[in-house]
Amino acid sequence: MFFRLLMESFRRQRRRKTLAGLAILLGTTAVTAMLALATTIGDRIHSELAVYGANIVVYPAADQLDVKVGGVDVKPVTGAAYLKESGLKKLRGIFWANNITGVSPELPVHIAGTTPSGKAVDATGTGMWFKHSLSDGGGSPLVTGAPTLHPLWKLNGAWPDEALSGPASTEIAVGNALASQLGLRLGDTISSSGKVALRVVGIVTTGDAIDEQILLPLNAAQMLAGAPDAVRRVEISARTKPEDAFARKDPDSLSPKLREVWYCRPYANSIAYQIREAIPGARAEQIRRVEQSEGNVLKRISGLMWLISAAAMLAAGFAVSAAMATAILERQAEIGLMRSLGASKGTIAFLFYVETGLLALFAGGFGYLIGSGLAGWLGARIFGSDASVSSGTIFNPVLLPVIIALALVVAIAGSTPAIRRALTMEPSAILRADV
Amino acid sequence: MTKDTPLVENLIEQTRPDCAVISLNGVTREYEGHAGKVCALDHASFSIVAGEWVAITGPSGSGKSTLVNLIGCLDRPTHGQLHIDGIDVATMSATELDRFRADKIGFIFQQFHLIPYLSAIENVMLAQYFHSMTDEKEARASLERVGLGQRADHLPSELSGGEQQRVCVARALINNPPILLADEPTGNLDATNQKIVAGLLQDLNRQGHTIVMVTHDPEMASLAQRRIALSHGKVFCHPVGSPVVTLRR
Repeated sequence: MFFRLLMESFRRQRRRKTLAGLAILLGTTAVTAMLALATTIGDRIHSELAVYGANIVVYPAADQLDVKVGGVDVKPVTGAAYLKESGLKKLRGIFWANNITGVSPELPVHIAGTTPSGKAVDATGTGMWFKHSLSDGGGSPLVTGAPTLHPLWKLNGAWPDEALSGPASTEIAVGNALASQLGLRLGDTISSSGKVALRVVGIVTTGDAIDEQILLPLNAAQMLAGAPDAVRRVEISARTKPEDAFARKDPDSLSPKLREVWYCRPYANSIAYQIREAIPGARAEQIRRVEQSEGNVLKRISGLMWLISAAAMLAAGFAVSAAMATAILERQAEIGLMRSLGASKGTIAFLFYVETGLLALFAGGFGYLIGSGLAGWLGARIFGSDASVSSGTIFNPVLLPVIIALALVVAIAGSTPAIRRALTMEPSAILRADV
Repeated sequence: MTKDTPLVENLIEQTRPDCAVISLNGVTREYEGHAGKVCALDHASFSIVAGEWVAITGPSGSGKSTLVNLIGCLDRPTHGQLHIDGIDVATMSATELDRFRADKIGFIFQQFHLIPYLSAIENVMLAQYFHSMTDEKEARASLERVGLGQRADHLPSELSGGEQQRVCVARALINNPPILLADEPTGNLDATNQKIVAGLLQDLNRQGHTIVMVTHDPEMASLAQRRIALSHGKVFCHPVGSPVVTLRR
């Protein structure tokens, strides 16, 4: 009898139920889309902001901060402290290793020589990785280098191949401004004073000081500098959690429990802390400009998404409330009759709540599917440049129970006023026409 | 239509509270209105014995619905005692009252109040569902008892007014309640169907059912063994056809 009443209610009040279901469907669609985007937005924003460079920099603790004028390191190379290139593989072993998306070690060298046309070369060179496989022996290696961290750099030609570097020759990329100044073209060779032939395989445009430098594989720079395994500084790009007050705490001043919480959150600070632990003699700090931009953008977008979600669910709640109020009003004679037949208020409320619950279940389920599709579509429109995460539907199975629960809460909360009102009505007033 | 004279003559003895199936003692029901308290029923005291057929009459606003609410266990008195089948309903919780109503009262409505999308037999089974569990055989027997065995699977819209009211009677009887509360049972019926339903109620009364019937119709009221008149929330009891003899205040 219960199911007969339930099914007939859906059959007979199709319009009202459709209206309430539609409200829940739209609400859950919006929330699914927002939540699905929100769960991937950290990665997406990180990918977007990664073009502005690293968010953590590592340099020798014994060294002072870099002294840069207009982006050019003017501190003498000689006598400076170095990090060990071989020690960088330890980055793959830290707690948040998988959050590190790019590593770019640098070693500045002074390059002097002559171009094929006989022009004298006196420039700063920077040894770096271009396509280096970083591995600590376990797990999949991270293929990384300066191009990973600087996707906006424009290259004409190819990046130097570190495998082709030897004591006699090496491949180089020349900054656009320097290439123009020296009349260098792809395929030209600079004869350096160190008897190493530097073959130009790429001309790079960066818009900063690199335009006036020579980029060469790190191993070649180490050879030229006579400093094997040396690295002057390392730029690291990592996916991080937006900085908050807790992130700025000094972990060593926290209680062991709080320190563990701090340590296990992917703040730029805690990743930097773990890098310091992993690489002895290293000093790692977050580059606040990028980090804060990322945090601010994330915070604002998340806030907006929560606001849209809350507004969507509130609107759905009101719509359900209105639809259910009409639906229940139409059935008040039925309610009065049930009461007179001995049905308790709880029994009648249960019947209506099961109706609402079923509606929420179906509408929430469909809302989840449509919302997942919408998230994929929105993702493609907003983050079109990030092909790896922008296409297709974003199905996050964890969201399904969350969305269903939310739909149930909204539907039940929306229909409660109508159900309560119906149950407080006098059955005899409903049943008697002439009272 | 005749009245049962010996019953009327023995009225005083029959309405002794100690053998009453329904007994009101100073029952008052007040509601909070905009202009203060409204007394819908004012110190009502009377008794109805088992097997009696009582008509409750009075103009609109006289307190009939309040009295029906109270006897039907849909409401509780503000003051006074209301005993139904020996139990003081004022002491019962809402849940107990729901259970009690399902057990003790069978409602017959003027508007029939059949659920339009359920067949006649399903409408009868609805009362079983809220009482205990459904039993199609019993429900069919109940419909046969009111002469509707052949129409059991018809929707209310396929039945005449009289037939719908008989389904309503079958539904009221299905859980075998000691009290039938009929609210204008023939108010919506033509003369032919009125006769059929009146006959049915007479049969039920003869079989021992206590019937409390609210009616405006003097002809229907005359079928009852006693009339309880209400005016402005006050109760007057008198034998059918006689002037008011007792002011129960």
